Amino acid sequence: MSDHHQSRFRIGEVARLTGLSVDTLRYYEKIKLLRPVGRSLSGVRLYDRHDLSRLRFVQRAKAMNFSLEEIARLLEMREDPQHARDEVRELTHQKLAEVENQMKSLETLRRELTLLVNLCHATRDGCPIIEDLDVHSKSG
Amino acid sequence: MSIKVELFSSPGCRSCGQARETLRNLVGEFGESRIEWRTVDVLEELDHAVALGVLATPAIAIDGQLRFTGLPSVRGLRAEFTRRLAAKGGTEAVTENDAIDGNTLKVDIT
Repeated sequence: MSDHHQSRFRIGEVARLTGLSVDTLRYYEKIKLLRPVGRSLSGVRLYDRHDLSRLRFVQRAKAMNFSLEEIARLLEMREDPQHARDEVRELTHQKLAEVENQMKSLETLRRELTLLVNLCHATRDGCPIIEDLDVHSKSG
Repeated sequence: MSIKVELFSSPGCRSCGQARETLRNLVGEFGESRIEWRTVDVLEELDHAVALGVLATPAIAIDGQLRFTGLPSVRGLRAEFTRRLAAKGGTEAVTENDAIDGNTLKVDIT
């Protein structure tokens, strides 16, 4: 294993890398979203790459509005997909469907915004499209 | 048999008028009974435009499929209309060998 993979990070560094607060990081460990984090001889928490990967998964799942309880079960699946309980497999399928629906919705939004941006570029005088949209939304 | 053509336009679109004129002329060639067309203001029907994949104006959809984005060439539009009408079984479709001479459409019947 390379040095890169053996890197250890103090809690402040992890907070900087993930954007999570130090309190949140401690809380996630307490509720077992993270396995017990390794410690230095002096008792300082040292996170490894695996911990960072789990934290980023938690962040993505939270961005999808999954509950912490659901995320904990999904992490079970992530750790050992072949031996996951049926209930956890079922939840994973369900969440996959939610993500796919969200992606469709986001794709539609992306197209809509692209169209609006292109309409603005097509005009010389500012962005009358936005003003028109405003009128339409008020009259609708 | 007819095809349905939608021209997507927007306020402030500089090429939309020209696209409308091109379309109007071609509809005159083919006949209004064979090409039903309308202009769609994307701001009035944003959901419809997005569903068809319209990302800029002008854009032209034929039978619910986006076929042209930007100002279409007369030749390209005519070829597409011809192909679509032929696919629907229209035997008198204008072909690419046909030509416009002034206001007269010369149809190759060979």
